[in-house]
Amino acid sequence: MNAIIEFLIGFFILVGALLSLVAAFGVIRLPDVYTRNHAASKSATLGVMCILLGAFLYFYHLEGHFNSRLILGFVFLFMTSPVAGHLISRAAYHSGVPLWNKSVRDDLKRDMKKASAGNKDDLKKNNKKKALVSK
Amino acid sequence: MLEIIIKLSLLVLAIAMLALIYRVIKGPTTPDRVIALDAVGVNLVAIVALLSIVLKTHAFLEIILLIGIIAFIGTVTFSKYLEKGVIIERERDN
Amino acid sequence: MAFQILLNIALAFLWMFIKVSYDPVSFIRGYLFGLLIIFVLRRFFHSRFYLYRVWSMISLVLLFFKELVLSNWSVVKLVIRPKLNIRPGIFAYETNLTEDWQITILSNLITLTPGTLVLDVSDDNKTLYIHTIDIDDVDDAVSSIKNSFEKAIMEVSR
Repeated sequence: MNAIIEFLIGFFILVGALLSLVAAFGVIRLPDVYTRNHAASKSATLGVMCILLGAFLYFYHLEGHFNSRLILGFVFLFMTSPVAGHLISRAAYHSGVPLWNKSVRDDLKRDMKKASAGNKDDLKKNNKKKALVSK
Repeated sequence: MLEIIIKLSLLVLAIAMLALIYRVIKGPTTPDRVIALDAVGVNLVAIVALLSIVLKTHAFLEIILLIGIIAFIGTVTFSKYLEKGVIIERERDN
Repeated sequence: MAFQILLNIALAFLWMFIKVSYDPVSFIRGYLFGLLIIFVLRRFFHSRFYLYRVWSMISLVLLFFKELVLSNWSVVKLVIRPKLNIRPGIFAYETNLTEDWQITILSNLITLTPGTLVLDVSDDNKTLYIHTIDIDDVDDAVSSIKNSFEKAIMEVSR
């Protein structure tokens, strides 16, 4: 029984470390912010979740200490990482980071153009307001 | 056996963090750097978990939660700043 | 749902008072008996029996984990492959969900699916703009979003 648990702990920790490595290589290798975000927001999360699970199993079975903080960290990472990925890619798009030059389709740009053509007056008003605020 | 695996994983995580730091320094745009920094924070969580296994102590496990929360809040703040230019909006009604 | 849980807890306390034993074990036992009573009388409530809803929540969380593992596999394949042979792009997806929290959960799920990432949500909460790593798989992704994710989320809120 102990051997199986030990094997599981080692397996989780090793898989987690390798996934983190893959995420880091993805961040280096992929061509633009959005594709890099795919690697960073998915692989890094699962990697760390695996390592936390391994650490939890270690403390529970080999030291007899049920640590709820590891579970809390696990749940927290699981909930927040997609949100963080979404927020940063949205910020990147709206601050004008270009897509990779081999990207083939951009529906958001098309729809944003349509929207801005539709209510240009609204936009002007907003700009005026912004100028006032910045003064 | 387990000890070797843990040490190896620490080494792998260190390499991953070096790679991410390369992206932080070089990254052509700011969102690139933010993504890499977020991943560095997430990797730090893993390193703290492994270190507390190596040192056989529970004392560091609170830090896992803290680093996770701070990394998330940092990313949110950065992305709000990049998008709107402010972090806390004063005008609630528009 | 909240009413049924409250009733269940009240039944558990009733059980504890009847048995005159105040330890957690008798609370759990009373809770299970109360669950049985509510299950038998489920047709007299206005809403569904709440365990169905709890079950659909659990299956939603399991779906999250499954998608996370699958997407990691695809990222690993993508990064390990020596040649970058991808055609990224952004496509618009019309959703049928209306509530804010449903759209939040849906976009989190989409972010965890292989090769997709939610970029933006339009102001009227109707359209999600999704960045995909390979535009050839769009039909696959859309059909899996429509058929499994939206259905699972609807199941929770029904």
